[in-house]
Amino acid sequence: MAAAAAPMRVPGMLDANLRVRGRVPYAMDLNVVGMLHAKLLRSPYAHARIVSVDASRARALSGVRAVLTGADLAERDDIYPYYGPIFRDQAALAMDKVRFAGDPVAAVAADDADIAQAALELIDVEYEELPAVFDVDAALAAGAPIVHDEPPRLGQTFADIIVRAEADTNICNHFKLRKGDVERAFAEADHVFENEFTSPPVQHVPMETHNCVAWIDAGIINVTTATQMPFAVRASLAEIFRVSQAKVRITTPTLGGGYGAKTYTKVEPIAALLAQAAGRPVRIHLTREEEFVTITKHGVKIRMKTGVTNDARIVARQSTCWFNTGAYADIGPRLIKNGGYATGGPHDIPNVWVDSYAVYTNLPPAGAFRGYGVSQAAWAYETQMDMIAAQLGWDPLEFRMKNLLEDGQAVMTGEDMFDAHFKELLGSAAERIGWDSAEQPQRTGSKVRAKGLACIIKGTVTPSTSTAAAKLNEDGSLQILSSAVEMGQGAETALSVLAAEGLDLRLDQVSISRPDTDVTPYDQGTSSSRNTYSMGTAVRMAVGDIRTQLLELAAAELEASPDDLELVAGRVQPRGVPDKSIAYGDLVRGSRSGNLLANGVYASKGGLDPETGQGIGSVHWHQAAAAVEVEVDLDTGKIDLLKYHAGVYAGRIVNPVQAELQTEGNIAFGLGQALFEEMIFDGGQLQNGNLGDYMIASMEDMPKEISLGILEHIEANDIHGIGETSLPPAMPAIGNAVYRATGVRITDLPITPEKVLRGLRARAAQESAE
Amino acid sequence: MTAADPSAPSTSPRPVDGEGKISLTLHVNGREEHLRARPHHTLLEVLRNELHLTGAREGCGVGMCGACTVLLDGRPISGCLLPAALAEGHELTTIEGLEGPNGELHPIQEAYVEHTGFQCSYCTPGFILTTKALLEERPDVSRDEAKAYLAGNLCRCGSYVKILDSVMDARDRLRGG
Repeated sequence: MAAAAAPMRVPGMLDANLRVRGRVPYAMDLNVVGMLHAKLLRSPYAHARIVSVDASRARALSGVRAVLTGADLAERDDIYPYYGPIFRDQAALAMDKVRFAGDPVAAVAADDADIAQAALELIDVEYEELPAVFDVDAALAAGAPIVHDEPPRLGQTFADIIVRAEADTNICNHFKLRKGDVERAFAEADHVFENEFTSPPVQHVPMETHNCVAWIDAGIINVTTATQMPFAVRASLAEIFRVSQAKVRITTPTLGGGYGAKTYTKVEPIAALLAQAAGRPVRIHLTREEEFVTITKHGVKIRMKTGVTNDARIVARQSTCWFNTGAYADIGPRLIKNGGYATGGPHDIPNVWVDSYAVYTNLPPAGAFRGYGVSQAAWAYETQMDMIAAQLGWDPLEFRMKNLLEDGQAVMTGEDMFDAHFKELLGSAAERIGWDSAEQPQRTGSKVRAKGLACIIKGTVTPSTSTAAAKLNEDGSLQILSSAVEMGQGAETALSVLAAEGLDLRLDQVSISRPDTDVTPYDQGTSSSRNTYSMGTAVRMAVGDIRTQLLELAAAELEASPDDLELVAGRVQPRGVPDKSIAYGDLVRGSRSGNLLANGVYASKGGLDPETGQGIGSVHWHQAAAAVEVEVDLDTGKIDLLKYHAGVYAGRIVNPVQAELQTEGNIAFGLGQALFEEMIFDGGQLQNGNLGDYMIASMEDMPKEISLGILEHIEANDIHGIGETSLPPAMPAIGNAVYRATGVRITDLPITPEKVLRGLRARAAQESAE
Repeated sequence: MTAADPSAPSTSPRPVDGEGKISLTLHVNGREEHLRARPHHTLLEVLRNELHLTGAREGCGVGMCGACTVLLDGRPISGCLLPAALAEGHELTTIEGLEGPNGELHPIQEAYVEHTGFQCSYCTPGFILTTKALLEERPDVSRDEAKAYLAGNLCRCGSYVKILDSVMDARDRLRGG
């Protein structure tokens, strides 16, 4: 096989020239003739019964073309106005009650956004406020107000989860993992540690907020939308409008960031319902403030109990995780599985017991967020690792090294680890920042420096499916039809590389489609760091089929065996005989097929036993480590990041520049969550839902020195996703460094200067008392 | 100053049409543009909705993220904060105005391509225009100074390392280095 002798290397992104011109079109740049603009009226209350909605004055306003309320939707039997990937618990507009401050209660489509906004102010809503719950403890307390008192509307769900919604409670789902015998192991352990860790809700803050344009044309519901999951949105709209999926068409241009926020259905139902009501195209484009209450990362409380032996072996872990999933389940019931099993960590622990709960509250819905529950889990276990090491006088690096998984050892979900690189990743991270367990914190004036480490394991959604199609044209060019979503991660470039090298074509001879559910084959979604691996496999399968067809066509033409032929630069030839080569295009024309066609279907196997959480948790395991040096100002509590090393296992690196960008991006994402990101609620009201009050990392927040260790292992013949992988270690590595610098152990993110100062004062008070 | 203040300059409001819009004349990318907009419409709204210049994008609506950055007389401003009418009489440059007459990339754009100083690229026009203002103001800017100058532009993908590489390379290109 001549092609792919050496992996193709590509610099950056293929459409870089368009991107620096500002000419890459996003969904919000689409203008459809006759398009209206929609605005949503949102609940000011976190929990209230809707007594009445009077929209008559809004309907009468000049320029208003459609107004919808929950009552308008409830009375129709031609639609089923509910959505949600697992429970259909979210209505396109609130019906009987609102469940979070920001829940949409009415929608207006008007000639322009000003008119739509003015119309909102003419809608009178009478609410009867209800008692509300905001944190998981209150939500699970006896007699707590119930967020969803209606019977659960289960839809077609996922193969990889069991839904255990508990009636008359706020428990939305419960995941269980039972491995070994934790009780006996705790009894036999030399030391048992039990701690509680919390992570707050944070927001994804994609620079492009959720937006879409919907129109109904010849009975087809069209939506161009900024989504990571065009097919999930299609299924949702088909269900809502009670039509076949063939009557819904979702198209997705490039996204201005996603990070999980744009998974599953969000603004599309209400846009399509308005388009139907108005008989005209409708755009909805959320403001930044609305984006903040559309979807969040789960706030979590994790209680973690870990047993160790005197020779520093971890023998048992029991975790209970309470994920605050907010007012609507979104993908929370599934995320708690990943977040739950992840508490087992990258360690060889023979006995693990996990109970992970998704809990409804009256906060905005929480869903997929870069890291998918693993960040919260890693914050707990990698912080606790250092707490244990500190307590028992062990070197945090050696303690980890002694327990990190190796090939053939069972991961927490029971399958054997393979292609393990944890020790290599953590070891080189420690080396890169000059880790020395004997090193004392370096103090200069009020500032003190120290280092911290963390190492994590993350699965990718399993089982999962991606499909692709390939067309080889009569000029020898190759078109890939794929529903991969380009959101800045370089999906289109990576897939183009994989396609081109399969037929030994130049990149300019390959094109890749954007998702169009009428045209491009099914994909589960661009999430879970799965695209280059899963869609990449589907693309390679389709291209491999084309390759076989070309060899057969050429074999007939050259009267040779396909085994004696090779593909070189767009031509098929007998091995080493370029004089006898035939161009792909000539073979296509000779075949009289117009184009060669092929499909690729990647469908991974796996899943976990519902009672034990044992099975195949992930087709392969993503691995990362971080090492950081911080400087803490003891007078102010301010934390600066001096050095940061991110190590991540990539299998094969398809696009080196993009791999670096995603890893650097994880550092920015991670340091924000470590140090300052937090959605602050007061009585269910978000206090900092705008970019004036909610900080995300800027250039000045970046560590002063950054090094990357993107570990490649071509021989493994595997591609590991790295979109999220290097994120989870950031928070515990920073927290561990702050502890070593100050002696202050923070267990509730973020690690703010105030918490550090409070900790320093508490320590000082304790010391003077002694 | 109140409306009754006799020393107040006479404010003769511009005629408003049936849609509540006033006439505006803006100088954008070297061209004079006549358009109509409501008095509260921001420069960003007018650029996008009336002139179809979509390189400037709203990220936060409160002047914190820099995705809507355009140059007003060469200085970076947040298009989402400035009422369009206040941009009259000024030279405006958007990302679309940076290319040469035949679509040639500006050296700053070339540098961003060379280093892939972006991921989703939603914020990229804002970064490039801020870079332009920076390098005109301080042709010999250091990496640390550039960091501080660009801290008002946010990139949620976190492409900061390569953005800064792009800026330093652009500096060298413009210095003829």
